[in-house]
Amino acid sequence: MKQRYIFLVLMTILALLISSCGGIAASAPVVLRIGWAGSPDTVNPGTAVLSEAYTIFALVYDTIYEYQLDGTYKLDVAESADVSDDGLTWTFKIRDGIKFHDGQPMTAKDVAFSVNLYKNNGDFIYLNAYTTNFDTVEATDDNTVVITLLNAVPNMDYLLSYLYVVPEHVWKDHAEAPASTEFENVAMIGTGPFKMVEYKQNEFVHLAANKDHFSTSPKIDEVVFQTFESNDVLVQSLKTGQVDMITEMPATAVEALKGDANIKVLTGSPYAPAVTDIIFNQANPENCPTDVGGICSGHPALLDRNVRLALAHATDKQKLIDVVLLGFGTPGLTLIPDGLGPWYNNTLNDYEFDVAKANQILDDAGYLDTDGDEVREMPDGSRPLNFKLHWPSDSIDSPRTAELLSEMWKEVGVTLELQAIDPDALTAECCPAFDYDIMIWGWGSDPDPNLLLSVYSTGEIPNGYNETGYSNPAYDELHTQQGIELDADKRREIVWQMQQIVFDDVVYIIPYYDQQIQAYRVDRFSGWITDKPKLELSDISSLLVIEPVR
Amino acid sequence: MSRYRHLLKKIGWSAFTILFVLILNFFLFRVLPGDPVKSGTHDPRLKKETQEALRVRFGLDKQVINCFETLNPIKLGKCDLNPFDTQFFIYLRNLTRGELGFSFHTNRPVADILVERLWNTILLIGAGQVLAIIAGMVLGIFAAWKTRTSVDYGALITGLVAWSLPTFWLGILLLFWGSNNGFPIGGRVTPGTSSYPFSYQVGDIAKHMILPTLTYTIVYMGEYLLIMRSSLMDVLSEDYILTAKAKGLSAFQILKDHALKNAMLPIVTIVAINLGFTVAGAIQIETVFSWPGLGGAVFEAINRRDYPVLQGVFLLIAVSVVIANLIADLTYAYLDPRVQTE
Repeated sequence: MKQRYIFLVLMTILALLISSCGGIAASAPVVLRIGWAGSPDTVNPGTAVLSEAYTIFALVYDTIYEYQLDGTYKLDVAESADVSDDGLTWTFKIRDGIKFHDGQPMTAKDVAFSVNLYKNNGDFIYLNAYTTNFDTVEATDDNTVVITLLNAVPNMDYLLSYLYVVPEHVWKDHAEAPASTEFENVAMIGTGPFKMVEYKQNEFVHLAANKDHFSTSPKIDEVVFQTFESNDVLVQSLKTGQVDMITEMPATAVEALKGDANIKVLTGSPYAPAVTDIIFNQANPENCPTDVGGICSGHPALLDRNVRLALAHATDKQKLIDVVLLGFGTPGLTLIPDGLGPWYNNTLNDYEFDVAKANQILDDAGYLDTDGDEVREMPDGSRPLNFKLHWPSDSIDSPRTAELLSEMWKEVGVTLELQAIDPDALTAECCPAFDYDIMIWGWGSDPDPNLLLSVYSTGEIPNGYNETGYSNPAYDELHTQQGIELDADKRREIVWQMQQIVFDDVVYIIPYYDQQIQAYRVDRFSGWITDKPKLELSDISSLLVIEPVR
Repeated sequence: MSRYRHLLKKIGWSAFTILFVLILNFFLFRVLPGDPVKSGTHDPRLKKETQEALRVRFGLDKQVINCFETLNPIKLGKCDLNPFDTQFFIYLRNLTRGELGFSFHTNRPVADILVERLWNTILLIGAGQVLAIIAGMVLGIFAAWKTRTSVDYGALITGLVAWSLPTFWLGILLLFWGSNNGFPIGGRVTPGTSSYPFSYQVGDIAKHMILPTLTYTIVYMGEYLLIMRSSLMDVLSEDYILTAKAKGLSAFQILKDHALKNAMLPIVTIVAINLGFTVAGAIQIETVFSWPGLGGAVFEAINRRDYPVLQGVFLLIAVSVVIANLIADLTYAYLDPRVQTE
């Protein structure tokens, strides 16, 4: 008898559960579910490092300028921008009637406060770097922000495109260290097209459409970003419809998903393209940065351009792309990837893959195999051309790249000792220690070429960002010039010229530029923006226009 | 009297162990190569000045301890420092105040992260443990009682196979099976449902727990099964069991009153040790099913050289293992009075 009661109670609970679920479904808002393999590390713009955090910032916050998928910038909270003749004073007119998500009005004061927030906090990990050239930032009235610069720059739009406008009334108590970095900012009040509903680190980010936004408001009601820790599970979640779109996926899953009629797989240039580089230690023992821990123990052969050139000719980039990336990549030239649009010098002619030519170059330069072990020696016979090749142990692609390089370069009498190394240990031996021969590593990129170009400059050797030890006064001069050249076309010319120089000097071998692979379910939402030079389905441009499939 | 002495001695040793772990924790992570300021941020936007500012914020601008500036690479420093101007003594002082500090990676208080992750882990691994213990013990008892029959062999093979299955592999198999049968395959909740009724949310978490808990149960059940079986078989071969049988007691009475209590000792040990490690989570299961538990926190913190989080998690694990062992010791004394007189 007793047992039967329990059974009845359980059935009642079950019935209630089912009915409550039904009730929810009837009034359900339109929710877009996005799966990704990461999670924001924090939603405080000052301390965020991971790209996932910046994806969320772009949706929840507005900026003075907005970076678009075609590689151009447009004004966002500002309706006009004026610059003085000397290029030092910028005046922005801020739109009327913008409201924060908590209902408070946004004025020029909030904009100036925000820029000053990033400028005054020296330990704001990335965003502080965009403000180093700002002298003063002031709101002269409710609609005007004036920024004065220390030096005139050509890329003001880029510098302002990451400086998110936050409300002064929320942040004024957190404006200074240490409060500015300890502030978790979970409510994330902004003015952007989406507002924060709930953020659970490593679980999900739940956003709702801001129907009061000054530009077009989204056609969806909510967006959920859900974290999956493994890429295979991410793909499976799309297949079974637990998510509607995934922001990344392994190349190995592409074929399997292409067979699914409900899924569309897209490839394209990433929003912020990553560059993989093969780094040659060119730090010369004579100008070794010993005062910052320089050891400069690289193989002397790598100081010779002929050796690097021969290795470039001995590298079959297409094979690397086909094997390592399963074809989802384009051959690389310099650190400026094709995804950077106009900044990418597309006139460079890559060193053709030609083993005979590579052998010829080494023969002519005096690197001969004198002891018959099929490995060349230095011209003075002192050392064989046997290099240590290291890569960060958390890299998925590098082991295969390293194996292939080892096979390819063996054909020209060069042998490699392969080893994966903990990323931190690799940093320690990399730079400015220069205690390595060759490494495979990479860089993330910014829409502006300035930072990637600085990686080649002499000034960055002691800072550890110049990882090759390459030093060329002519290049350094051009690097300074491109930073102050205000004419966009002239600046592009200089940037192209710089790429020509480092390409001719074979500072790196850039094996490939990765492509972005994303996929969405065609039976859920339509209208995704896919025809731009850059592919990013989670970009605001797509989220504003997609519609549920009825 | 001897009972209290026994207890005090055990508690004393536990306290000493925790103290040792506290000190070891600090040095363990600083011996690793790497710089928390640069970990995971290979980006030229991170200026040299910013790195310095971060170092000050993290307290890494101070010497590690008197005479040593850094431990990897070993760099000697000043010895005549005020100890409370070194990282080590600041760490100890903060601990005595109950402050675990802020995560380098997320800038959140470590205590908040630990509490959040700990509940998730206890929920998942706790449920898995309880199920594994029950299933393993019941099957083990059956196998031992029906020794050398097909029931026994069946249970033995099941136990051995389950115990030797790679956890992540079984997890992935169950995940693929589950995803095609409508089970959620990632996370703890369906995102965006926090405003739904409480009953829905409980059901939602339960649904998300099914696959990972099942994985955990299957793998750990084998261990309990095998130990229960062998331990009970030992006891069942004793003369007093034969006597009990001769007295005409039923199988149930023999097991309950005579055999099980004596066969429990090894199981108690295993249960205690495993419960202690419950807190450490199960990195593989948490990763496969994207479950936000402590295991994942450790993995992430090691990658980012997030010293405060690492110190916090390791302290938590050490404390729970020590306490679990203490409880095991005390339970021992209760189950087998000989233990305390020795």
